[in-house]
Amino acid sequence: MSAREKIFADIKAALDPLPERVPRPTLPRGVADAQWLAGAGESTDLFSQRATAAGTVCFSSATDCLKWLSEQQVRKIYIPDELSDLAPSFSQITEVTNLYSRDQVDQIDAAFTSAAGGIAESGTIILTDESTPDRLAALAPWIHIAVLRMDRIHRSIEDALATMPDDPNIIWVTGPSKTADVEGILIQGVHGPGIQGCLLV
Amino acid sequence: MAKQLIDTYVRDLDPSVQAAVHRSTASTTDKRHVLLGADFADADSLRKLAGAIREHTIEHLDTYLAQAEESLTRCGAKVHYAVTEEDACRAVSDILKANGITKVVKSKSMVSEEVHLNDHLAAEGIESIESDLGEYIVQIDGDHPSHIVRPIIHKTRGDIARSFEREGLGDYNDDPETITRRARKFMRGKYLAAEAGITGANFVTADTGRLVLVTNEGNSRFCLAPTRIHIALIGIEKVVPSEADLAVLLNLLGRSATGQQLTVYTEFINGPRRKGQPSGPEEMHVIFVDNRRTEVLASDCKEILRCIRCGACLNVCPVYRQGSGHAYRSVYPGPVGAVLSPLLAGDKFKELADLPKASSLCGACNEVCPVDIPIPDLLLRLRHRAHEEHVPSPGTPPMEGFALLGSHPLIWRTAMTFGAAKDYLPLDKMPVPYLGPWLKTRTLPKWRGGKFRSWMKSRKVREGRQGGDDQ
Repeated sequence: MSAREKIFADIKAALDPLPERVPRPTLPRGVADAQWLAGAGESTDLFSQRATAAGTVCFSSATDCLKWLSEQQVRKIYIPDELSDLAPSFSQITEVTNLYSRDQVDQIDAAFTSAAGGIAESGTIILTDESTPDRLAALAPWIHIAVLRMDRIHRSIEDALATMPDDPNIIWVTGPSKTADVEGILIQGVHGPGIQGCLLV
Repeated sequence: MAKQLIDTYVRDLDPSVQAAVHRSTASTTDKRHVLLGADFADADSLRKLAGAIREHTIEHLDTYLAQAEESLTRCGAKVHYAVTEEDACRAVSDILKANGITKVVKSKSMVSEEVHLNDHLAAEGIESIESDLGEYIVQIDGDHPSHIVRPIIHKTRGDIARSFEREGLGDYNDDPETITRRARKFMRGKYLAAEAGITGANFVTADTGRLVLVTNEGNSRFCLAPTRIHIALIGIEKVVPSEADLAVLLNLLGRSATGQQLTVYTEFINGPRRKGQPSGPEEMHVIFVDNRRTEVLASDCKEILRCIRCGACLNVCPVYRQGSGHAYRSVYPGPVGAVLSPLLAGDKFKELADLPKASSLCGACNEVCPVDIPIPDLLLRLRHRAHEEHVPSPGTPPMEGFALLGSHPLIWRTAMTFGAAKDYLPLDKMPVPYLGPWLKTRTLPKWRGGKFRSWMKSRKVREGRQGGDDQ
């Protein structure tokens, strides 16, 4: 008997004697929404408010973002081709590249990538392989700024789950990489970005 | 006098460790409570709904597991099954060897702890680095995690600084920020050199075959960015019917585990990278592990399979807070571990049969459980099983004397009559077995035994009924 056959036979043997089985519960719409969501105002504002609360730095314009980034210690910025509109202005502050490779992981301090969507309820940025092809670029630099179109913001976590894109790698990002492993003290930037940004367009 | 092993462990525990565990678990419990209260008018109903989703799933595990396999296969993943601990380890090393891989990075997975994967890979000459900061420290120290979510809750920054110094990660420095930066730098090299990433999964959706992975550090994501093969080791019970169910479960998981609305990174993975994509593993293997879960499913404790490993029951448990995780002598500590560990021990059940007794049955674990597992009931069922299997219980007073009294009315009546003599004995100065230490700080009330029978008799007479058999 194969491992698969044995496991399924054992499951069947365990479940067969049950006199009845718990039926699938119905999930009323919005059942797990935060109670304040309905009265929380417009989604873009709510997204910014929640993302900020989660530790994400939000920018409402490229100008604001440029101003902020010019105050950071940034040696090299990665801007992929699909966001090439941003390159001219950001190349005023430091070197900009459209190539991200493993050898450059230590040189690129900031990277822009495009987000597939967002979630207002939790201030979450949604990345997919299709929207953000280079997984490392959105993860390895100290500063990662996701460019998010406001019309792609879902209202709730439930809404985002109801319309999952057809993509083998979907990532929800809610704030910067962090840990509290050492004596419960919160430190940002463990493996991923120490600063997570979001530019709303 | 013989002691329960857990009592002995707690007595010898460093008070500073005990204080740190208490502080950290209490503050996480508070955060959980505040956030659930702020976000939900009726968090309790949501917990019960999540419990029903999980109970429904495990009671239809044959259907959903088969469906998950079908979905994953459709998405291009290879699905394997492992009956035992050894099978699971071998499945992983076979895939690695077939691809000539000797360096892997791992993200935190309780099932990999359970099957001792790292020991196996080391024996096979494969370098496997834990990438979660806490798990990495556990690994370099040759230690074991003491909490499901916070593996090094029992270590101080000084302990960690010494370990890092020993491993050549820099001079002694106990600043948590420096520790984290050093780990970041070290791990970068390991991620980029690794050829495979090993992960677990918090959930697997049956209808779409999505593995859900949650981390705060971003390490599981890093394990799946520069590597070419992804291997996921997953307990068969991790399946959920659909993404709609995740709305309930994910909303409870982060809040219950760490007091966060959502964990920082929530990843959904179903399949290797697609054609034309520049990064991500080209191959995805999913190994569904039984390792006695089907035995648990067949037992009277199957509800424990609902568990989503949030650690809330550890944080709230007065015994865990005193004893920390290693007191439980097994991979899963705390109330969930007191149920799960003996069940997963198989023919070594007797060795862990004392764990279900390490509880006052206060019920706090059930009240905080995001999937409403009736842990106190399960503890009682396991205590009963230990009794049935004649597992000795050191430190427990023998109850044969009481059983004799309680089942022979004449002896009982006699004892009640002469029991009053106890009021004249200097009990605090006598060596009373089992009660000695207790009596040194307390006094017993005056003897009132035997009054109940006469009261009962007079009551029946007053009501004009027959006294009947008063035995």
